[in-house]
Amino acid sequence: MPENLIQNITNNHTDYLSDESRRFGTARSISFPKSEAEVIQVIKDIRSQGETITTQGARTGIVAGAVPFGGHILNLSQMNAIGEITPDEASGEHRITVEPGATLDEIRAKIAPTSLFFPPDPTETTATIGGMTACNASGAKTYFYGSTRNWITSLRAVLADGDTLTLKRGENFAQGRHFSLTTEQGQTIAGPLPSYEQPKVKTAAGYYVADNMDIIDLFIGMEGTLGVITEIELRLIPRPKSIQALTVFLPNEDSAIKLVRALRGEGSVAIEFFNSDALDLLRHIKTESSAFENIPALKDSFNTAIYTEFHGESDDDLEAAVMRVMEAATALGGSDEDTWYATTDREMEPLKAFRHAIPEAVNLIIAERKKTCPEITKLGTDMAVLDDQLETSLAMYDHGLQQSGLQSVIFGHIGNNHLHVNILPRSMEEYEQGKALYLSWAQLIVALGGSASAEHGIGKIKAPFLQLMYGDKGIAQMRALRKLFDPKTTLNPGNLF
Amino acid sequence: MKICCCIKQVPGTTEVKINPETNTLVREGVETQINPFDLYALEEAVRVKERMTAAGDPSTVTVISMGPPQAEDALREAISLGADDAILLSDRAFAGSDTWCTSYVLAMAVKKLQPELVICGMQAIDGDTGQVGPGIAIHANYAQASYVAEIQEIDAKKLAAKRLIEEGYEFCEVKLPAVLTVVKEINEPRTPSLRGKMAAKKAEIIKWGAAEIEAPAEKVGLLGSPTQVVKIMTPPCREGGEKYEGETSIIVEKLFDVLSCMEVV
Ligand SMILES: Cc1cc2nc3c(=O)[nH]c(=O)nc-3n(C[C@H](O)[C@H](O)[C@H](O)COP(=O)(O)OP(=O)(O)OC[C@H]3O[C@@H](n4cnc5c(N)ncnc54)[C@H](O)[C@@H]3O)c2cc1C
Ligand SMILES: Cc1cc2nc3c(=O)[nH]c(=O)nc-3n(C[C@H](O)[C@H](O)[C@H](O)COP(=O)(O)OP(=O)(O)OC[C@H]3O[C@@H](n4cnc5c(N)ncnc54)[C@H](O)[C@@H]3O)c2cc1C
Repeated sequence: MPENLIQNITNNHTDYLSDESRRFGTARSISFPKSEAEVIQVIKDIRSQGETITTQGARTGIVAGAVPFGGHILNLSQMNAIGEITPDEASGEHRITVEPGATLDEIRAKIAPTSLFFPPDPTETTATIGGMTACNASGAKTYFYGSTRNWITSLRAVLADGDTLTLKRGENFAQGRHFSLTTEQGQTIAGPLPSYEQPKVKTAAGYYVADNMDIIDLFIGMEGTLGVITEIELRLIPRPKSIQALTVFLPNEDSAIKLVRALRGEGSVAIEFFNSDALDLLRHIKTESSAFENIPALKDSFNTAIYTEFHGESDDDLEAAVMRVMEAATALGGSDEDTWYATTDREMEPLKAFRHAIPEAVNLIIAERKKTCPEITKLGTDMAVLDDQLETSLAMYDHGLQQSGLQSVIFGHIGNNHLHVNILPRSMEEYEQGKALYLSWAQLIVALGGSASAEHGIGKIKAPFLQLMYGDKGIAQMRALRKLFDPKTTLNPGNLF
Repeated sequence: MKICCCIKQVPGTTEVKINPETNTLVREGVETQINPFDLYALEEAVRVKERMTAAGDPSTVTVISMGPPQAEDALREAISLGADDAILLSDRAFAGSDTWCTSYVLAMAVKKLQPELVICGMQAIDGDTGQVGPGIAIHANYAQASYVAEIQEIDAKKLAAKRLIEEGYEFCEVKLPAVLTVVKEINEPRTPSLRGKMAAKKAEIIKWGAAEIEAPAEKVGLLGSPTQVVKIMTPPCREGGEKYEGETSIIVEKLFDVLSCMEVV
């Protein structure tokens, strides 16, 4: 083992005790392995000492999944090699093999000179592909392209005892709800998969299970609880020749929802929503902070916004769809003058700046409030509902927020019926009030067949929601499954349950 | 009111290359954009149009650019941002124009169009001289105000402008017709709308050469340029100085010794 692979935690390591959830944990030691062999060495060494291990990527997670609960921190950010892009004869696509610490930005930079495309697009592009795989990250374009899961063809993992696995898509399927796999060292791991049905919506809560499932899918979204992912092979497809985007401004929320319904048949790759509070927040922050200068000016008449993006073979193809959207928008009180339209990368920038500024503005305001009330955090919901429950869920949010008088914004992936409500508490009292509201929404959404965590995962913070969704029985089944891979809960203790 | 806005197409990046043999910018294969300062000029032109139209004086904005045929892209983009029509001043005879000639050609187009107001950017991010706006005013015999940060009032005859100067602001009244050059703080350029982009797609870009603006051959291009670029060079990178690191008292002493040796202290 290279000397110093495992280091004691010092004051220089404070950053590694936390992630974007801004929760802090503790740890005794940390390592930055650069190869799978080093990962194995660290795991065996730490386990022999009876300590636990928390795996980290870029620590951009917001549910404290990478926050250590004592023990050792296995940080993979330096294991970040990106392989060559190779054609895949069978599918006509391309493949690229990457180490887990490679960031989405780095992978995009590698692909940029080619005419290829890797669709997963979580907003935080400094996330590592290991973290994205462990959390099955998704983004605006998940509406059309699906989550990270859809873009993984193979992965390697190191288990809690140091054994290794290669899981290739299409090679190992469960029999109903029973799975069996053999490690490269010859150990067979087999047993029942949990019997619950996952909600039929976008979800990142708990283990992915389905009858006769491909076992690779069990490892995607497992939040580091079954093993450490050490290599991932990704699918790349040709980049669309034409990309166009629209931000349509509408006079009220009702028209916006109607436009979303109209858009569903038009082949959009993304449909995003921004409520009037979100627009007001941007108007306010633009006057307050020069960091937000780049956000385009918002007319006073703009109330609610819908962003949509189209990918296709030619501008002419897309223009027809754009025109149909505009026709629908006009009937709902929008206009071609009050619609931003981008057909080039440069024109796309202000539309992107607008979308990304909302969570950034929320974070800035919360950081400011923390100065007087350090316990406060933003309360961000991440729930998805069935198609026909979209109006119900939005009405539920609007009603709860109006009754409470809490400051908030609502935005997000409305195409997937997945809206983020961000509550910005001004005091501890409001914080508690917001938390209660959030829990009451989660209960209702789960009862309606939705997911209480659609993309950010469960980590340590949202464990009560997993319980809410799958009950004692579901949790017990998940616990049993985890034990098959990691009998002593060496990996990521505290995550999921 | 008839308003003209002059826009220049410039390279999309700041990493421009100079061809060492011809001493001209390498423009091939370089992404282009509207000179960023001109976006403020255009936005102001469109706002004046909206303001005058609302006040009962139906107004228009015509964008003008002198440049190669591909400058048409910049003109279309300007239409997507609210201009009504666009004129491309393009002619082989214009090649090699210096700022005097560029202003002259633009001024000849202005004379033909006879707008009450011409708005330019403060400067171009590639040429960087800031001479063209004032040059147009002189050649066309228009009044001028440069570095305008706000048009406070405007009517058919005159405008009141707030100018950015080193010590603060200067307030002045300008008789029309006039040329203004504007600074960034004057407004916030809008984002292209669907209506604008569709209009841009359909727009007919008018092309004028030397003949159409009645500019004699000896007054344009290399021939008409009183200045010639003799040589362009990249200044050598500054060599890094010496850096002392360590205990403050020791390095201060060392620095003092060095400076006394140089007889600076
Ligand atoms: C501003 C902002 C915007 C965001 N937007 C989105 C979004 O649009 N969509 C979205 O899905 N998420 C989003 N996120 C959340 C976060 O970026 C994602 O969850 C991301 O996938 C985490 O990657 P990471 O490398 O930072 O992982 P980390 O935060 O370091 O880890 C996340 C979890 O994965 C585990 N893990 C990491 N690497 C491995 C590995 N190699 N093997 C096993 N387990 C591992 C960790 O133990 C932890 O449980 C956002 C976060 C921020 C701060
Ligand atoms: C000595 C000299 C010799 C030159 N020789 C050549 C040459 O041989 N070949 C060559 O290609 N270039 C040559 N140039 C560059 C060319 O003359 C300038 O790019 C041009 O005059 C504009 O000047 P500028 O870039 O400094 O613009 P500025 O004066 O900084 O621009 C101010 C504003 O004027 C307007 N404006 C400027 N240029 C135009 C335009 N073309 N169309 C419409 N509006 C405009 C814009 O509103 C702009 O914001 C030469 C320049 C100099 C100084």
